[in-house]
Amino acid sequence: MEVSIQRKRPFFERANEYFEDLEEWMEHFGRELSERPSWDLRLRAMEPLHEMRITSTEVLITVDLPSAEKSKIKITLIDDDTLEITAQMKRKVCLDEFGITHYKGEFHEFRYQTHIPVPVDMDKIKTQFKKGMLSVRLPRLHKR
Amino acid sequence: MTMLFGFPDVGLVGVIAASHLIEELNMNEVAYIESELLPPLVVLHEGLPHSPIRIFANHDILLAISEVPIQTDLIYPIMDVLIEWAKSKDVKMMISLSGIPIQDRQDVQELKVFAAVSGLETMKALKDNGIEVLMEGYMVGPQAVMLRRAAQKNSPALILVAQCFANYPDPEAAAEVLKSLARITGVKIDVAELLEKGEEIRLRARDVMKRTQQEMTKMKKGQEFDIPMYVS
Repeated sequence: MEVSIQRKRPFFERANEYFEDLEEWMEHFGRELSERPSWDLRLRAMEPLHEMRITSTEVLITVDLPSAEKSKIKITLIDDDTLEITAQMKRKVCLDEFGITHYKGEFHEFRYQTHIPVPVDMDKIKTQFKKGMLSVRLPRLHKR
Repeated sequence: MTMLFGFPDVGLVGVIAASHLIEELNMNEVAYIESELLPPLVVLHEGLPHSPIRIFANHDILLAISEVPIQTDLIYPIMDVLIEWAKSKDVKMMISLSGIPIQDRQDVQELKVFAAVSGLETMKALKDNGIEVLMEGYMVGPQAVMLRRAAQKNSPALILVAQCFANYPDPEAAAEVLKSLARITGVKIDVAELLEKGEEIRLRARDVMKRTQQEMTKMKKGQEFDIPMYVS
């Protein structure tokens, strides 16, 4: 059995270490997310640009859906805290329209899945689609 | 001679505006930046390799455009070399094209354009043109370095910013910035095609926007929302 005596480390030192780890993890995670393509040829889908803002009262998600058909936007709750947004495009978009010829394929829809990190009331969902921009508002549920 | 700058920033306003200008004013590539400081990357267009940061020109306008967001630690060396180059070409005025994010942008019909200026003379000229000048606040990014350097050298420069989406490509904002640019420089710029192609541009610009978002976080772009403390 090994016995050793270690200097007691002050709280801030441990806290700093924790935040450094967290930062490193975030950076790694962020990089992993950003380094996959923003499109999926198998699903024939493009991942739209998106943003989530959490305020004290609501979760606001915006998704940029240029050339999406308003009547063909679907917002589905796929489990307790995961939302999926799909939107069919007005016309198919081929990679060769962007001059890309080394990958072949076309896209029919936008597809985006997101985890909602705080409890929300899904029944009170509010949506708006304006200028190709989808806004989804979900009121937060607070425990009493 | 006027030199314009269009770099990836909020709403990609500057890059979208600059790309449109190259087409609209029939500008040709005249120079490019080559440096080991740049990421190991080459941009292919019509089968040929290009530097990500290039300069285009016609008779009286030079335009620097970058197809990749400029890394925070490269902003100084790149802007300094561009400003030095501009000086050697007898550039009398530098104008950076960019955006200023607003909340609930999709609900806004008329986008306003503001300018940040390098000195009093430029401020007066803009006010005479009916363009509102940014009086208090912070500017972050390559354009901030351009304005500081111009102010130090007492040479006229301005940053034109149109209200825009922060994290989504905004061709409408690019059109607004170009309309103001036309007013200031007297150059005729038709933005009809830019607006017509809006959705196509937004679709195409997703990846550059995503990388620009990451770089903007690193350079603490959010500081532009801060209210400065008054130091006299």
